[in-house]
Amino acid sequence: MFKFDPYSPEIDADPFPAYATLRAEYPCFWSEDIEMWVLSRHKDIVMALNDWETFSSAKGNLVSELPGRQGSTLGTTDPPRHDRLRALIQKAVTKRALTHILEPARATMRKHLDALKGREQFDYVSELSSRYTVDLIVYLFDLPNENLQTVRDKAVLMVQTDPKTKQKGPEHIEAFEWMQDYAAKLVEERKRNPGEDLLSQFILSEIDGEKLTDKEILLTVTTLIMAGIESLSGFLTMLVKNITDYPEVRDALVADPSLIPDAIEESLRFNTSAQRFRRCINKETTLHGQTMKPGDFVILAYGAANRDDEAFPNADVYDLARKPKGHLGFGGGVHACLGTSIARLACKVLLEELLIAFPNISKVEQELRWMSSTNFRSPLELQIKI
Amino acid sequence: MPTVTYVDFQGQSTELDLAEGMTIMQGAVMNGVEGIEGECSGSCACATCHCYVDDAWLAKLPEMSENEEEMLEDTASERKTNSRLSCQIKATATMNGIVIHMPEEQE
Ligand code: HEM
Ligand code: FES
Repeated sequence: MFKFDPYSPEIDADPFPAYATLRAEYPCFWSEDIEMWVLSRHKDIVMALNDWETFSSAKGNLVSELPGRQGSTLGTTDPPRHDRLRALIQKAVTKRALTHILEPARATMRKHLDALKGREQFDYVSELSSRYTVDLIVYLFDLPNENLQTVRDKAVLMVQTDPKTKQKGPEHIEAFEWMQDYAAKLVEERKRNPGEDLLSQFILSEIDGEKLTDKEILLTVTTLIMAGIESLSGFLTMLVKNITDYPEVRDALVADPSLIPDAIEESLRFNTSAQRFRRCINKETTLHGQTMKPGDFVILAYGAANRDDEAFPNADVYDLARKPKGHLGFGGGVHACLGTSIARLACKVLLEELLIAFPNISKVEQELRWMSSTNFRSPLELQIKI
Repeated sequence: MPTVTYVDFQGQSTELDLAEGMTIMQGAVMNGVEGIEGECSGSCACATCHCYVDDAWLAKLPEMSENEEEMLEDTASERKTNSRLSCQIKATATMNGIVIHMPEEQE
């Protein structure tokens, strides 16, 4: 009997064989293990993303949702409220609005790379991608320069899940609460002393002359810090894993750095770090002969859709020349990632500087430990040789 | 399946049958039609899916949201009275035969 349990360590490590079976044999699969539907074909997920009236985010979008987020953040509301909230932040994170982070990003990347000169090998996660990500988010949100290691640790912990109990463990909830307290202090401080930063703008915004609710502000700020730090550093790790797994790709990028954006898009497709998100059925829907009822939860497996041969021929091959427009590495539709321009800029600067400093970076044979998460996929540590 | 004709800046046209509910942007990017980028994956946040809708069809499309209206201020090519963001237009049966023109540049 085929099973699909996104809490299992096997799925954390390698979900792709299970995805192949899902796409081929059970395109609309009821998972007994988690009592949720699972969609895996690119076309089906695109249709679900286009139809937020049926596939609602208002009951949460994390497969194992954190308490209280429902209805109070961008990722966990439906239009029209969602669109109004999003419009408040959107303008500050477009590609054009972000040119001011380019040089600070480059400077922090160079600083961290300089510190590694003379080493033979290092842990890319703790010594490079996390530090760089935190520096960027600190700059973007103007966070205080204290406790940064803890902020990072909590952001990464709060998205994790417990494989044994198949839910969030006490340490994950505790991390989320810690982040909420951190956000609460920040919100208080910004209200008293507003700056030019993105958070201040959001906190002070109004919709139709009405201030946002305290809960909306608190949970949105909490989520922005979580998404900014965890999603970005997780993907930066997958990106460099790909470059070191495929030395011919690394060499192509060293020879012609203008190909770096193509590598970023292909990695978003091939090694999607945001593997799965959740929706709740609002209207009875029949798909592939299965009927999903109002109130049922359904997982949209972006990582499976991105390996669908129907959408991307030879999908299991990493192909630098593919230019995979339409991949679901950032999701899609109204809820597609708010941080796409931040993420693409951060990835580009990282690869450009890394490949100048260490053009021979290469893989170290190691047993990877994968994060335990029903949503995200990335290794906790990645040793690389320089 | 509604048929959509995409005409690029050079005047080259491509006809596609889109499943109902698919957006004009998705139709282009998933079928290798050049001229539409869709960088923000359809969240009305990048304006790289800018297109001009043939006047005959413009009035038949659902109205623009405020967000689309605002985002259209950010297009790389000139905004015209028939400008729309193609990720905000879903193919429907009533749209069968629609003609979409692509702008000179998207970035
Ligand atoms: C490469 C890095 C990143 C990846 C792969 C990623 C991935 C995603 C995905 C797949 C979603 C869709 C969730 C859903 O379908 O429910 C999403 C939503 C979101 N992301 Fe990202 N993300 C990244 C970086 C960031 C950054 C840097 C920020 C903020 C600074 C951010 C903020 C958000 C927010 C606020 C949402 C919710 C948007 C909405 O529902 O309207 N993300 N992200
Ligand atoms: S795809 Fe970004 S606005 Fe349409």
